[in-house]
Amino acid sequence: MDRLEDLASSLETLAFHGFQTPTVGNGEKESPAIEILRIKEQMSNQCFEMTVKLQSGESKRSCSASDAEKDLPDYVNTLEEAKITHFNKTLALHRMQVWHVISEKLKQRDPEAEAMRKLTNHSLDLCLKIKTLQQESFELQDQITALQKQRLDLKRLTHEKMKEMEELKTKGEHPVAEEYRNVLQKAQSYLEKYQKMVAIEQNVLRGIIIASKVNWREDPKLREIAMTLEDITISDD
Amino acid sequence: MSLLKPFSKLPELNTANILLVENEEQFQQILAETIVLLKKNVNVNVRLARSLPLPIENEKFRPRIDLVVFIINLTSELSYQSAEVSLKFLDPDYFLGKVCFLVTNARNASVPPERLISVRKLVASLHCPLLFAEDQMTDGVNTAAHRLLAILKVTSGHVPMATGLYLSSLTRCTVPSDIDQQNFD
Repeated sequence: MDRLEDLASSLETLAFHGFQTPTVGNGEKESPAIEILRIKEQMSNQCFEMTVKLQSGESKRSCSASDAEKDLPDYVNTLEEAKITHFNKTLALHRMQVWHVISEKLKQRDPEAEAMRKLTNHSLDLCLKIKTLQQESFELQDQITALQKQRLDLKRLTHEKMKEMEELKTKGEHPVAEEYRNVLQKAQSYLEKYQKMVAIEQNVLRGIIIASKVNWREDPKLREIAMTLEDITISDD
Repeated sequence: MSLLKPFSKLPELNTANILLVENEEQFQQILAETIVLLKKNVNVNVRLARSLPLPIENEKFRPRIDLVVFIINLTSELSYQSAEVSLKFLDPDYFLGKVCFLVTNARNASVPPERLISVRKLVASLHCPLLFAEDQMTDGVNTAAHRLLAILKVTSGHVPMATGLYLSSLTRCTVPSDIDQQNFD
């Protein structure tokens, strides 16, 4: 009876493992059940190899080695994709199994289940807090970006204004100075013209006085005029 | 033609057979002893040969060979040539994962680099894995024995969900395209 019980329990553990041999370290003693399972897996593996060989023998097509080389990467890619999907599906299956076990456990009334429930509640609270904090940080981030935009605009405006000011500074002397110079030149030309006229008239007057042979030293008015005539010189020839 | 065929005999329970082919018989003896002494759950029989074809007299008593390992010593050109010649006596089905190449003395300075390049090209054209082994120290021999045992377990079906072809498609030797311009200065 004991032996049967032992066998039954070992078979139960094997059934839990899904009838795959648990990997035993090399050289350790195995229970006969596991050994039988291992040998069975070996045989199925070898049979699989032989069936593969038979199948490949059936569909034989004659083609050159270069053709085969060309097709090879495609087949390798399909193989890789199959492996990857298989792995992903195994992972998903494990996830589902773990979730199932956890949910089953949570429904029970163990002290372990109590601890798990407390843990899940605590993590839920933390997640809520995380959510609110994230919301706040998003809002603050938006505000920061708005402020940065404003600052950038202001910077641009000040830059433009500075440019305008500099342009005005360099050019601003010019138009006023030009008019000033024009007016000055005009005035100078007028002045010269009138000076010439005055010089000519004074020469004429001098000539008249000398030609009329009047003694201008005795008459005070004539003397004044003659004196002033001497001072004036023709400014330009 | 006495080709060595992988599937011409039935496999035995819980056993794996490995064949080491080496022209000089120095390394295979040590490697065979190390492999047999490793701790494992499988009965491993190691058979040694200098070259293929194997003698016909033993044909009936020879079990099914799960893995054929060609040991090439890079310091001798003869080793490489005899391995090349032996390849012809191997059934093409073996090259789908049941053949492995083991190279020794790759770090030796007297080895011309072209030999390693030609070995790599040969192995890459056969889509087989290429291992490098250190045969002077016991640690190197142990490592090589462990690796060969791992590959042997896969090719003899002792690893579930893995076959020799699967493993060799992952571990096969490839030749980088600039191999002719490589220099190890």
